Amino acid sequence: MNFYRTGTSGTTIGLVVVLVVVVIAAGAYVALNPGGGVKTVTSVSTATSTATSTATSIATSVATSTATSIATSTIVSTATSSYLPAATVNGGGGTLVYPLMSSWVFAYTQLQPNIQVNYASIGSGAGIAQITAGTLNFGESDAPLKTSQYAALPSGSTLLTIPISDSAVVPAYNIPGIASTTHLKFTGNVLAEIFLGNITMWNDPALAALNPGVTLPANPITVIHRSDGSGTMYAFTNYLSDSNAKWSSQVGFGTSVNWPVGIGCKGNEGVAGCIANTQYSIGPLEIAYEITNSGAINYGSVQNHAGNFILANLTNINLAVKAGASAGLPAGNAPWTGFSIINNIYNDSTDTQVYPITTFTYALVYQSLSASYAGTSQSQAVGAVNFLWWVVNSGQNAGAKIGYPPLPSNVVALDDTTLSSITYNGTPVYTGS
Amino acid sequence: MEESSGIQLTSAKGIGRRRRGGDQILKGLVASAAIAVVILLLALGAELIIHSSLSLITFGPSFLIGTTWDPVHQIFGALPFLFGTILTSILALLIGLPIGLGVAIFLAEKAKGRRMFGYTLGTLVELLAAVPSVIYGLWGLFFLSPILRTYVETPLHNYLGILPIFASAPFGLDFFTAGVILAIMIIPTVSAVSRDILNAVPNSQREAMYSLGGTHWEVIRKAVLPYARSGIFGATILGLGRAVGETMAVTMVIGNTPRITASLFSGGYTLAAVIANEFTEASYPLYTAALVEIGLILFGLALTINLLARLLIWRMTRNTRFRV
Repeated sequence: MNFYRTGTSGTTIGLVVVLVVVVIAAGAYVALNPGGGVKTVTSVSTATSTATSTATSIATSVATSTATSIATSTIVSTATSSYLPAATVNGGGGTLVYPLMSSWVFAYTQLQPNIQVNYASIGSGAGIAQITAGTLNFGESDAPLKTSQYAALPSGSTLLTIPISDSAVVPAYNIPGIASTTHLKFTGNVLAEIFLGNITMWNDPALAALNPGVTLPANPITVIHRSDGSGTMYAFTNYLSDSNAKWSSQVGFGTSVNWPVGIGCKGNEGVAGCIANTQYSIGPLEIAYEITNSGAINYGSVQNHAGNFILANLTNINLAVKAGASAGLPAGNAPWTGFSIINNIYNDSTDTQVYPITTFTYALVYQSLSASYAGTSQSQAVGAVNFLWWVVNSGQNAGAKIGYPPLPSNVVALDDTTLSSITYNGTPVYTGS
Repeated sequence: MEESSGIQLTSAKGIGRRRRGGDQILKGLVASAAIAVVILLLALGAELIIHSSLSLITFGPSFLIGTTWDPVHQIFGALPFLFGTILTSILALLIGLPIGLGVAIFLAEKAKGRRMFGYTLGTLVELLAAVPSVIYGLWGLFFLSPILRTYVETPLHNYLGILPIFASAPFGLDFFTAGVILAIMIIPTVSAVSRDILNAVPNSQREAMYSLGGTHWEVIRKAVLPYARSGIFGATILGLGRAVGETMAVTMVIGNTPRITASLFSGGYTLAAVIANEFTEASYPLYTAALVEIGLILFGLALTINLLARLLIWRMTRNTRFRV
């Protein structure tokens, strides 16, 4: 009657059955994972990025512990080299750069075992709020600060804006019957009309005119976008606003907008999953996904101002950043409000091979550091500045492997000037180690 | 609760002076724990009101009936999220309650002779409750949603598309999928609590019904279930509580579209999901305040459901001899 009083055998058998089921489930999950399903960024083969590009906190902790053991052995062998003084550097902000930041932190810990960099992927808005409150050594944001955000900074402080990486957004789609070697062509205006819900069919005359020779299906377009606030959507909506007056007035641009049509999926991986699962869908995807999951989801080329249809790759994104920066970057200690590579190259017809939907992501540091800013110690200031110096110089190559194009030389030069200007109690921090 | 603790203290007094000090300490400890919970609840409510004050002042009551959520133009209305939360929770109950109750009845009434089988099945069902919700979300997004779209939603849409609830073209990431995921998540809660309630029904109830010539089904329906009614209702409320507050799994399968529509196959949004999605990138004070006010509404909704449930249970038990 009362099966709570099952004997030992009942309990044991029950537990064994449960255990077996759990093991089978785990096995099935592991077996299925590489084939399809959840695509984490694990297809990179080098030790550095494999350990970190999975972009999970588990990976980070594993990476950190691995780094510690490597570092320990390094210390034993080269005890005389000039390591920086021990410090824990706290940074935090945007999620777009997080996989790359994990990779950087891992690599930098191998070079400077005394410097422990913690990066909290809390979102750009939170990154700005935390650096304003002085609780981080450096903040990170996918969009430059607004005027109101500059006004909220501690009085007398100067917050430096340092582009540390870049990314691009591609129109990814899932259309059965179109070969993966064929890349549909889009213009900013047509993309805006699709995302406004005005172009609803794949065989719309506007799309057909752009893609002669491609048989477009007579199926309705399912629009997919990010549901969480993100720098990726900031860049994409910025481009749509430049391209289409109706989008600009009705929707505008920001990390989250009021999407007129479509379905929201969480995170870049979520958007990728939704597109992969939904026939006849289109959605904006970070280029990093396309580079690390080559061929998984097809994506289209976008027309730049010179009239060329550019299929995003590391080279033309790099060119876009270079062109966007040549049009004039603000000084590192000046307000960057409203700065946008997308806007700068939107009317640029001299650079013919630039990919138009390209964006910066920024580190934010105070120019005059002292114990009064959240008790930043001298060793923390040294650690933070040296880490960022390494990031914008040597660290850029690490990005290419996981889909973040290296910064062009004109941006690196500006960043170096900006970082050199940081002082601790009036003394310059970076000494060129 | 107070009565019983009073009785214990009285009996302790009779045993001897030596133990009175310990009792006082115990009383202080448990009382402060109880008071701390109340204070925590009040502090939570106060904090939500303080941090949403900017939004409360700016939008007033229109926040509750506003249907536009536009962070760029700083217009915020919560109605689509409230609608989505209530609709998905009701769907979850409609699907999950019969199944959860069925599991409970099977375990308590039918699986009695087979102890190992019943124990294993019970443990497995309860294991569902231990699965983190993000796993449900990933599974829902990559596995369940395409299957539901192809084998459930598309036939329903094709044959019953004239009904408003099946009117829009199936997409797979919608109210319906969110409801199914939530149903799976509340089944262990409903079944585990209901099973314990059913086990607590005295055998005299069953024996009386059998002696009147009742079949097994009649015994369950007329003797066991009515006796356990208020307890099962409590189990339902626990399940509903989980459904209302569930965030991660819902966010990944509901489509995150602030929309009020009769169609279950349309993308929707819930209160918890919009907070999870947008809080990290909320870049100006009014935006943050609006999201905190969404939290305040969720808090209020959960409190209201619990209060209504208490009221209903109180009314049910007052008018009946059956109590569990």
